[in-house]
Amino acid sequence: MTDTRGMSAPIALAPPRDRAVLRIAVLALATAVVAALALGLGAGGLDWQLIASLRAPRVAAAAGVGSLLALAGLGLQVLLRNPLADPYVLGHSTGASVGALVALLLGVQLWMGAAAGALVAGLALLWLARPALAVADDASPRLILLGAMLAALFGSVATLLLTLVPDQRLRGAIFWMVGDLSGAGASVWNLAGAGVFVAWLWARGRSVDRLMLGADAAWLLGEPVRRLRLELLLLASLAVGLAVATAGAIGFVGLVVAQGWRLAGVLRTRELAALTALSGAALVMAADLLARLVVAPLELPVGAVMSLLGAPCFIWFLVRGAK
Amino acid sequence: MSETPLLETRALTVRAAGRALVERLDWRVHGGERWCVIGRNGAGKSLVLRALAGLGVPAREGQVLWQGRAQQDWPVGTAATLRALMPQQAQDRFALTVERTLALSRVASSASVGDLSELMTALDIAPLAARRADQLSGGERQRVALAQCAVQGAALMLLDEPVSFQDPAHQQVVGRWLSEAATPARAWVASAHDPAWIGRVATHVLALSGDGAWQAGPASKILSAPVLERTYGCAWRNVEGTWLPA
Repeated sequence: MTDTRGMSAPIALAPPRDRAVLRIAVLALATAVVAALALGLGAGGLDWQLIASLRAPRVAAAAGVGSLLALAGLGLQVLLRNPLADPYVLGHSTGASVGALVALLLGVQLWMGAAAGALVAGLALLWLARPALAVADDASPRLILLGAMLAALFGSVATLLLTLVPDQRLRGAIFWMVGDLSGAGASVWNLAGAGVFVAWLWARGRSVDRLMLGADAAWLLGEPVRRLRLELLLLASLAVGLAVATAGAIGFVGLVVAQGWRLAGVLRTRELAALTALSGAALVMAADLLARLVVAPLELPVGAVMSLLGAPCFIWFLVRGAK
Repeated sequence: MSETPLLETRALTVRAAGRALVERLDWRVHGGERWCVIGRNGAGKSLVLRALAGLGVPAREGQVLWQGRAQQDWPVGTAATLRALMPQQAQDRFALTVERTLALSRVASSASVGDLSELMTALDIAPLAARRADQLSGGERQRVALAQCAVQGAALMLLDEPVSFQDPAHQQVVGRWLSEAATPARAWVASAHDPAWIGRVATHVLALSGDGAWQAGPASKILSAPVLERTYGCAWRNVEGTWLPA
């Protein structure tokens, strides 16, 4: 969509960099506006005390979680060569929930348990999908179905674990299952994690672009494919783990954001990473704002709001035949 | 012929499903040579090309050398300048344009290819530059895949069926380009089926019987009734210089 150049233009020169910068700048501005709205709106109005102590941490958590999940989606899509990959759909988020619950039961750091759970889910999916990925035939439906089954499996394990959680901790445990920001405290780790992920994608931009051509093709072009994919899986798992530890299993951010930008014609990893991080943050901040405002003074879990927005998008992508 | 071959195999055996498709292949490809690999369906042409490129195959023994050094001893980045592979089927999953797909295929050695628009014109894909690669016709995508391989600028191009989807006119287009693509420092190896087309573009032929046996040599010698018969399992006759199945 961004390419309106004639065929005579020399290839690899004159990428639409100016436009990319403009797009990123405009989106950063829009994200700032959403953040300002999220900080300013809600019960209590513009009370600085309230904003600083309650809303700011929550908005920061929403932004961090949104960025992380959107970036994890981008990473998994390249890793699995499937534009419909999403940490929620493929079971990474539920794997992270199981990990978080185990951590809760053992009394270790939640985010570690969640990250480990996401990694296990990711490795399980890669291992199960290996024949399909190796042959590189059109494995899309199989991969999505495998992920859905893994998600169901982890989901039932999580439900079983919930019955073991002592009553006084049950409230906290259910928190992750739904996807909710009401109890989320500010954590610099989310935003820092998103920053690291974007930095990695920026540094490896061209290599990740080549992974889109296929693992064999990228290797033939001199890319250290094995290492790239391992780093990508680790980053995506860590991102999902951090996000799930903060806000539970919020779905569809990973799918909608990165693939939405691709459909809009953004296919360079560097630009895509920046746009994905920003719009992931904006999307979850907006969804959380809706969750707070729609039936105020009651609050909806943000995970439910995102699914209400995201599931129709996923269906639209599928029906549209996004491959 | 005394200089280091671009490609050399030493006792290369490739197996699939427990069967040796090619057995103890000793073979050299030098700069300037244009090789076609022939063999019936399932004879192992694609697997041999994959093995030559360094990609995984079900089972293999023996050695493949690029420019005198075992393929696994080259760093992966340098290997990209030594050999390129055009797969039989492109695997497009993302909506990349032709232009972008080609840009991503450029490596250090690509500078030697020269002007890309010239290459695109020669392969008749210039009008497709802004189109999505995953939405092209089979023949168009195949020519783009050939251009991807070419733009890498590697000394050796391994091409898995570069003309199987081409209409007669574009078989000529691709054939013409291939005939000029092998310079003294460059060579290509392509699997193909039509002896008439092969006779026009190739200098050498490697014939695979599919049972392990193989025969390599100048095209004029290999493209003969006995070899074609052994390769394809049917009788052949030469009609005014063109080989046809009888």
